[in-house]
This record gives sequence, structure tokens and C-alpha cells, in this order.
Amino acid sequence: MAEKVPVALFVNGENRQVLVDPRQNLLQTLRADLGLTGAKCGCGHGVCGACTVLIDGEAVLACLALTVAQAGREIGTVEGLADDEASAALVQAFVDCGALQCGFCTPGMIVAARALLQRNPRPTVEEIRHGLGGNVCRCTGYVKIVDAVRTASGAVQP
Amino acid sequence: MSARRESTGGAPLGDAVGKPVPRLEAREKVAGRALYTDDLTRPGMLHAAQLGSPYPHARILSSDTAAAKALPGVRAVLTGRDFPRNYTGMFLMDQLPLAVDKVRYAGEPVAAVAADDLATAREALRLIDIEYEELEAVFDPVEALRPDAPAIHEDRGSYECHYELPPEPNAVCYSEFKEGDPQQAWARCDVVVENEYRLPAQYHMYLEPVSTLAEVDSNGKVTLWSSMQGVARVQMLTARALGLPMSKVRVIAPRVGGAFGGKCELTNQPVTAALAMAAGRPVKMTLSREDDMTMMKSRHAGTFRARTGAKKDGTLIARSVEFILDGGAYADESSAVSAVCAFFSRGPYVIPNMHVRSWSVYTNRLRAGAMRGFGNPQATFVSEAQLNELAAALDMDPLELRLKNALDEGDAWLGGRSVGVPSLKQCLQSVGKASDWRNRRKRRASAPGKRRGVGIAGFGHTSALLSAGAAVHLNEDGTVTVNTGAVDIGQGSDTALAQIAAGTLGLELDQVNYANPDTDSSPYNYQTAASRTTFMVGNAVARASAQVRDKLLEHAAAILESEVERLELRPGGSVGIRGISDEEIPFAAAAGHSLYVTGGPITGSSNWLYEPAEGIDPERTRTRGFVDVVAGSGVFCFGAQVVEVEVDEVTGKVEVLEVWSAHDVGRAINPDMVEGQLQGSVVQGLGYVLTEELVWDGGDLINPTMMDYKVPGMADVPHGIHAILLENPEPGAPFGARGVGEMALMGTAPAVTGAIAHATGARINRLPATPERVLRAMLERA
Amino acid sequence: MIYLEPESVPEAVAALAGDEDARCLAGGQTLMAMMNADLVMPSTLVGLRRIAGLHEVTETEGMLRIGAMVTHARLAGEERLEGARAVVTGSGGGGDDVSISGRLEGARAVVRDAARQIAHPAVRNRGTIGGALCHADPQADLPGALVAAGAHVEIAGADGVRTAPVDGFFVDYLESSLEPGEMLTAVLIPEGPQGAVGAHLKFSRTDGDYAIVSVSSVVAMQDGVCSYARVVVGSAGPAPLHLDAADALLTGSGLDDAVLLQAGDLLAAAADPVDDVRGSSDYRRLLLPALLARAVGAARERFDG
Repeated sequence: MAEKVPVALFVNGENRQVLVDPRQNLLQTLRADLGLTGAKCGCGHGVCGACTVLIDGEAVLACLALTVAQAGREIGTVEGLADDEASAALVQAFVDCGALQCGFCTPGMIVAARALLQRNPRPTVEEIRHGLGGNVCRCTGYVKIVDAVRTASGAVQP
Repeated sequence: MSARRESTGGAPLGDAVGKPVPRLEAREKVAGRALYTDDLTRPGMLHAAQLGSPYPHARILSSDTAAAKALPGVRAVLTGRDFPRNYTGMFLMDQLPLAVDKVRYAGEPVAAVAADDLATAREALRLIDIEYEELEAVFDPVEALRPDAPAIHEDRGSYECHYELPPEPNAVCYSEFKEGDPQQAWARCDVVVENEYRLPAQYHMYLEPVSTLAEVDSNGKVTLWSSMQGVARVQMLTARALGLPMSKVRVIAPRVGGAFGGKCELTNQPVTAALAMAAGRPVKMTLSREDDMTMMKSRHAGTFRARTGAKKDGTLIARSVEFILDGGAYADESSAVSAVCAFFSRGPYVIPNMHVRSWSVYTNRLRAGAMRGFGNPQATFVSEAQLNELAAALDMDPLELRLKNALDEGDAWLGGRSVGVPSLKQCLQSVGKASDWRNRRKRRASAPGKRRGVGIAGFGHTSALLSAGAAVHLNEDGTVTVNTGAVDIGQGSDTALAQIAAGTLGLELDQVNYANPDTDSSPYNYQTAASRTTFMVGNAVARASAQVRDKLLEHAAAILESEVERLELRPGGSVGIRGISDEEIPFAAAAGHSLYVTGGPITGSSNWLYEPAEGIDPERTRTRGFVDVVAGSGVFCFGAQVVEVEVDEVTGKVEVLEVWSAHDVGRAINPDMVEGQLQGSVVQGLGYVLTEELVWDGGDLINPTMMDYKVPGMADVPHGIHAILLENPEPGAPFGARGVGEMALMGTAPAVTGAIAHATGARINRLPATPERVLRAMLERA
Repeated sequence: MIYLEPESVPEAVAALAGDEDARCLAGGQTLMAMMNADLVMPSTLVGLRRIAGLHEVTETEGMLRIGAMVTHARLAGEERLEGARAVVTGSGGGGDDVSISGRLEGARAVVRDAARQIAHPAVRNRGTIGGALCHADPQADLPGALVAAGAHVEIAGADGVRTAPVDGFFVDYLESSLEPGEMLTAVLIPEGPQGAVGAHLKFSRTDGDYAIVSVSSVVAMQDGVCSYARVVVGSAGPAPLHLDAADALLTGSGLDDAVLLQAGDLLAAAADPVDDVRGSSDYRRLLLPALLARAVGAARERFDG
């Protein structure tokens, strides 16, 4: 087993000290060391989007972020979105629009949508389709996800 | 129309049925708090991984695991010899948890390790030294079927098998249906089309890779938390594979991150359980995506030859279909899939003269098994492609051709069984109207460099199979708990079943508790498959709830000093005297009466096996080989789909612009969730027809990653996927509801290729219709 | 594995010199995927994020100097990658085709256009220009775009800093001309010919996938005659495919379809694309002339407009 190194992470507004294998990616650290299992591993190489988290406010794939290289950055996971109004609207819209089925992509999808709305508070359907193009959903066919993001943005009434 | 039986449950009480409520677990899923198998940990838990064979066909000469066992942190190492030789399968028992003696596909699990962490487990796998002697492999199912092909299972004859094996050494199953006299009928046809079709191995790509957590208690009882489709089925198969009594295996379903048939039967449960037994500690094994793709299974690839003949006016006269499905290295569900594929080869049309011959066959590739549609998408593609070609040959509108031949009242399916509610014509008309078919078919204006076209498909499927049970009990406070053992794989059955209970008892949805499936406490349910849960388990829930209702009424009659006949359930959980609004008691009063005064707890229990009234009619249909499986499935459902596409003239790439999909769902228990099922099916169908294909170089899968195997992303599919729900109630169904889980996928591929042909004139007979294949077909035509 | 985070280029170069298996970690969008799959196991990883200069974009002597750690997302939104006359913002998404705007963009826009079509937003937020170049994948978007833009690379090593045309940087599949112990520090992009239009046309199976074929072009026209052309094809062989002869054929012509197809044929004859799940080698060659005609034809129409 590899020798572990200490890292100071700032996750969901809290300082967290972890001891990790330096090869470990942030997704593994969040899930195994910090008990934050919202972000999921669907592919392991940055193609499915299920591990999307916020780093310094931007959507980033946790499986492609080396944990030891995240010291000092502000990391936000789906579990940390609760208190923010725009996020609450998004979460509510996902529930109301039926924008989820198995739910495995949902945390990554919501985090990616949160980052999209931060950049672009009133995205068009096209902008949503491309803005969330890196988040694979195998269940819904995406229609209701696009509707949920539109609803959350206030573009359409729920 | 003939007289019909009532739907189970009668008219729903309250507003729970038919209401587009959010799914029960929506909140926990959006908050990231839903727990899937890999999210779980147990004290002292180890992590496991398994080693895949590098060869597609080889003899295992020896295995040396000493170095792996010596690696610090390694707690258990297993090879195939550590397991009893207890074969498992669906109808043909041919598979062991880890390969013994021989490997039959590249990626086949041969050894497994449990260690303190995953990195150590993976490092230990690299230290396992297995000596192989390579054998001649066979990859092409047509070649594999030849009598002189290298035998993949030399001992095939010794396996337990529930049907008569065909003579070819690699054949898994043969099924044949014959109706009328096709041989003579060809002469009466004015037009005959004939073609060959090649369909790909589609991979499920459930977003949650296969995962199991196993723990053994001090009495040797194994508890499994696993991503799967049925707790009872996994319990039975795991117990069998490990040589344990079922009383020593408990299976619990956490949330499941999609399955689509890929988590039917066994995945890695016996190996994970055996590692936990060997290590004496809990073990979790979550497959990497690449391991999942190389080790688990796919939809059946196949080669089809079909011929269809019609009169000048479009009346279908005869069809023959012959196909070979690539079952891969193990039978899994191949026999059932090829029989089902044969059963749907006529499509939902009247064709008086039919001949279908089907094989599934072993090859040295990844095993194929259940995937959404279970053989029907292949059959429907071929059948609808034939109709598209016929319409072109007859210069007839494809919608008209379908309407002309669609099954109607009194018509029978292939095999002779009555089709029940024959709503195909209504679906076709509805989708034609919604899409403005006639005008859209004429309107060809496209962007520069693009060509636009529309295509249509009609299809049928079934939604009843095998056994299900439900236990409903009234809680002391007047709410109810529903326990069925049915695993929600993401499609929403927990919610739909709770809505059925609520609708039977007039409760609000939050007055219904859906119990987590657990073999220690849940009734038997076959598994979540074959679009059967709403119909089968829903029926059991409605019946069990009705028993609770009847007992409630008895207690209420005693409390209210009235007669049962004078009582009624009132929405929200009370019982009252008909016509007297203030004479009522809450369910809780009845519950209390049962618990403390007389009678005992109020529970309802329903257990049933679906037994179709009619089987295959021997007067009408001659069959050979394995057809029993189709004789036992039933409740036909119909749908129709229109797709509009634009094809790039330079690249051949197909862009889907809009989709309309009409379905007779009987009754939508939850219209939003039904719509979501249909939209999701359409997009899986778009993947099937346009991008998805497992590709092998010899025995090596060359695209076992999400980077190289492409499922559609959000920007690849249209936002305009319109689900149209028709509701002709199904007799004997819970509130009239039919299953919808698989249906919409059937028509998508042929509707798209029909649209491509309309746009470009090019016929695509090999899926997926990649830009390259489409462009070549366009160039060949030019 | 040892992880280091030097704060200057010389420190980073020293760290690389200390271990021949050392690798640089830029955005990690490729390297981490390979490490996750156990395909690469560097014994030392040199994280570049703390080297401030690598994150900078500066304009010097007619060159836009882009630090190696500048992300695709920043490139995609970098206004200095537009010509003086252009104010165009794309949908922010990938997609197959260049969105054709009526306004002219500068030569450097080819780089921005390529950057905004790489993978998906989350990858673009972390992936860097330096990482994309050093991975030297001819199916990627930036290599061809930078060759079309006539960019130079700045490379630091034990002997100091050197610059070289980006053309020679790509040696073979996943192989650059970086010597052991060297690191890429910046990319220098010239302003390009006055009035030129740069664009990157990407054709892929699905949104965000690697290109089956991509065409990066920088062209200028005056009075209906092409005054400058530099056309580069990606996914067409072991390195971005650029032929002086094809450029020469276009320059001086009216960029009519016939000459575009002719230039495309020249490039197709020189192409040596891979056969893979995205498309066969033959198919890529077959597409090349028509895609080139589509890409450059779109540029031509912008001059007409």
C-alpha cells in the first residue's frame, strides 16, 4: 500500500484534513474519506459527468482532479448546495419536472446545471443541451432535465 | 367490441392514481443522499476486483496465486476451483462464477481478490499467474453454427437444460413457427421484398456499474446488497452457485442506478459472497466501467434474412424470417431472447402465411442476455424495415401500408393468442396526426447540405410474466405498508405501486410506505424485467390492498354498528356510512379495533402466477424447438412512432429533429413517469440505431469505455420527443395499466432508418447507422 | 508516487531533471484518466498550478503569449483571440459545425473556435493548452488549430528557454518533440494576416467526442481573390496534416468549390488516418475534400457577406 500524505481540503465551507494516497483522485477522497457519496463514478475517465463537483465555482470532474492538487481550492459537492437559493430552485425543478429516474447521474447533473446557471442565468434550450452535454443520463432521454433547468431559470413556469 | 372483464381495482378512490406526482425517492436523489451499493460501507469492509481472461478461447493449464496472496493487504484470493461446480443459467445451466478448465471469452472472470483497498486488490490481480493454452476461437455466429466449428462447450450435453438442445455443437436454442402455407403463398404475391440485416451488440450502459457488497454472519448466513433487478432471483442463483441453502442467503436492494436487463440474473454476487466467506470480512466489489463492459453482457447481435410478400393493394400475404443471434460465450437468457425474437417477427400485422426459424448460438465473445425489449427490438427492426421496403416497392404511403395490415379486433398474434385490446390502428392514427405525417412526408425543405425525411414504425410488446406477490398491512395509525420485493431500477415502480395501493384504499401517497425489497421479509417477485412490474406486481398490490379494504370494512361495520354493504371508503383514510357524511371513522380506529378488540392485525396478501388463457394454437401454428417461454407471456400492448431526421450530404451523419411516440398504456398510473419511460426508451433506441455498437477485433472488445462506446448525450438528441398516451384500459390489469418500460424502444430504429431512406433513398440494413455507413449507402445509390 | 508543486519554471525543470519517470500535471484531463486506468504510473508528478506565469495571457511583439496552464474555457472566451473587427460569442457549446456568423473574426479565432469545441464544459474548465499540446494527440482540436494559426511553442529545459514553430512539435501519435527534462511553458500566436478569418470545423460522431476529421483554416480574401490560406487537417494521420502545396493552390484562387476540392484531394492523398471506432481510414480520406470545401467555403461566404 502506498504511503499516504496529508492534505487540507476546503469542502462545502468546511476545512477537512485527509490522509490520502497521492495518486488518489478527488472523487475517491470525497466518497471514501469524507463520506460524501453524492458524486458518483460512472466511467472513471471524465466522460459521464456523474462526478461533477464545483471547484472555485466551476464545474469540474472529480475523477480527473488529483486530490493532493486541490489544497486551497473551494470544493462544492451536491451535498453542499442546500443553502443556496438558486440551487434550491434547481433541486425543486428536478423534482417537479420528473427530471430523474435511477438518479445516478442526478447529483452530477444538478451540480453542472448549477454552474451553467451561474454563468448564464437564462439559458436557451440549445445552451442547456450543450452546457450539460458532458453529463450522460441513460434513463430520461434528457427532455425533462432540459425542462427542469428552464423552469429553475424562470424561463418557463413550473 | 366484445365484452371485457373489469380492470383490477375498479375505479380508483381518491386522486393518487393517474396523478403525475414526483417519485417517492426524488428528494433523496436530488440531494445526493440516495444510497447505491457502492455508497455503502460495513465495519472492516474489504475491496475486491476480478481478473479477466486475456484470451477468447483457451484451456486453463494452471494458476498460481501465491504472489498475490503474499502481497500485504490481500485478504482473499479465489479462482474457479474454489467454487463448487454448480452451474447456473436461465434455461440452460452452463456458467460458473469464475472460469474453470477453460475460458470462453476475453474478459471472462478467472480470479478475484479482496484486499484492504482497491489499489492493492488490483495490484494483486497483476501478480496472479495463469497459464493458458490457446484454442481455436469462433466469433461469427454463422460460422459458429456449422457442424465442424470448434466446440465452445464440449460438455454442452451434460448441462441441465429445460428444452431440447438443437444438434449443432454450438447451438444454444432453436425455435420455429409456421402458419399458413408460405411456400405456396409466394406465388400469390404481386410484390416480394427480400433483404439481409445485421444488428449490433448494444451495451446497457446503466450509469451505475455492477456492484455488490457481501457480509457473512457467524452462522454462515450471507447478506448481499447488490445493484440488481430482483432480490429473489439473485438469492436463488447465488445460493445455487455457492451450494448454500436459500435460507442462508439474504439479498437486499439499495437504490439501483439503472439496469435495462443488464442486471438480470447474476452479475458478481457469487464471487463477492465467496470472497467475504473466504476473508471472514465484508467485501465490496464494484466493477470499473471497462471491467463491466468486458465482463458482463450485451444485447444480442444478429444476422437476419427476411422476405415479405404482398398484393398490389398492400395486403400482406407471406413472410419468412431466418436469423441467428450471437449469444456469446454463455447461454444466459439467449434461449428466451431468440424465442421471443421469433415470436415478434411477424410484427403487429396480419400475415396469414408465416415461417420463422431462429437460432441462438455460442461464440467466443461477451455473453449476450436480456436488454430492454428482449429480442423484440431486433424483430421489430427487421419487420418494419421489410414494410418500409415494401411500401417503396408498392409506391404506397408507409403509414397506409401499416394501417391496412394492422391487427384488429378478433385478430391473433403469431401462435394464435388473441391480442386483447387491438389499439395499433389508433396508435398509428394518433402519431400520424400529431406529427402531421402527410404534410411532413411531402415537406422536404432542408438546410443547405442536408436532406430531411420522416419515418414511421408500428410495434407491439407484452407485459405479463411469471409470479409476483404483495403483502399490504395496515399500520396502527391507519397508514399502510406495501411490501412486494419488486426492485425499482430507476423506472419508478416504488411510486407506481404505492399509487396503486393508495388508489385502492383512497389514501394519500404519503400514507403509503413502500418497504425496501429484502428476501428476509418481502414476498416473492420474479424480477424487474419484461415490462411486468406495474401489471404483475401492481395486480398483487391491488388485490392485497382490496383484502385490507374488506377487513377494514368489517371492523368499521362493528365500530359503526352498521353493515359492510352500507359502508364506503372515503379519500384520506376513513370509512363512512353511505349517504351520511358525518358517520365515519378513520382507518386508525379500525386498526385499533383489530389489534386490541377482535380479529388481529389487518393484512392483505396476494400471490399469483400469470397463466394466459390461451397457449399456442396447434391447429393454426406448427412449432418446433423451444417456444414455451412465449406461450407463458401475455397482455399485448401497442405503439407507433414517427421520427424526422436530417442527413448531412457530406458526412452521412443523421440528426434526429423530432420524435412522436404514441402508446396505448391502458391507464397511466403516473403520467409523468410514463412519459419519462417513453422518452428514455426513445433515446436508447436512438443510440441503438445511430451510435451504439460493441466492436471487437477478433476476441478483443476494442471500445470498452464511455469514450469509445457512445451513448447519446444531451446535445445529440432532440428536445422534441413527444410521448402520446392513449388509455384503453386493459382487462385484468391494475386500474387498466399495461407495462411501458420497454415499448418505445422497439420502433425507434426502423422509424429512423425509414426516415433516412425517405431523406436520401439509401436503405440502411446494418446498424448502427453510423455516418460512414449512411454516406456509403448514399454513394452506392448515386 | 511523489507529488511536487514548484512555484517557478526553473524549480519545475529541476524537479523533472530529478526523476526520469516524472510527468507534469497541468489540468489532468488526460493524464488523470490514464492514471485512473493504471495506464500511466509516474513516480513523480510535477503539478504546475502554482507557477503564476503559466496562467498568464500577454500580448508581446505582435504575438499573443498564452501560458501553458491557460484552460480551454479561458481560450474559448479570450477576446484577444478575435480580430479587431469581431465581436462574436458562440453558444458556448461544442457541436459539429462552426457556427457561421456574418461578422469577420481574426486569424487567431481558429484557436478560440477549436477550444470551444473540445469535449464538454467541465473538461474545458480544467484542460489546458499546454496539456493538450504535450499529449500530442492528432485527433484533438488544438494541435491543428495552432498549426493553422502559425503558432510557436516556448519550451523550458535545463539549458534555458527555446521557441520553435508548433509544426515540428508533433512527432507522432502521442509523441511530441519535448526532450526528457523539458516542459512546455507557453504558446505564442501571431496576429496573422490582416483581415483573415480563422475557423475550426469539427466533425464527430457525437457532441464532445474526438473528431473523425477536423479542418482548421485561416484564410483572407481581397476582391474575391484569396490572399492568404493556411489549412490544417486533424485526425488525418500521426500529426496535424498541413501541406504547403494545398495552401499554394488556394492562394490566388477565388476559393471556388472546384479548387477547394482539389486542395482537399491533395491533402487526402497525403493523409494517413487511423481506422478506429470513430471511422475507417478510407472514410476519413473520403470526407476530407468535401469537409475542407465546407469549412473554407463558409469562410469565403463571410467575405462575400
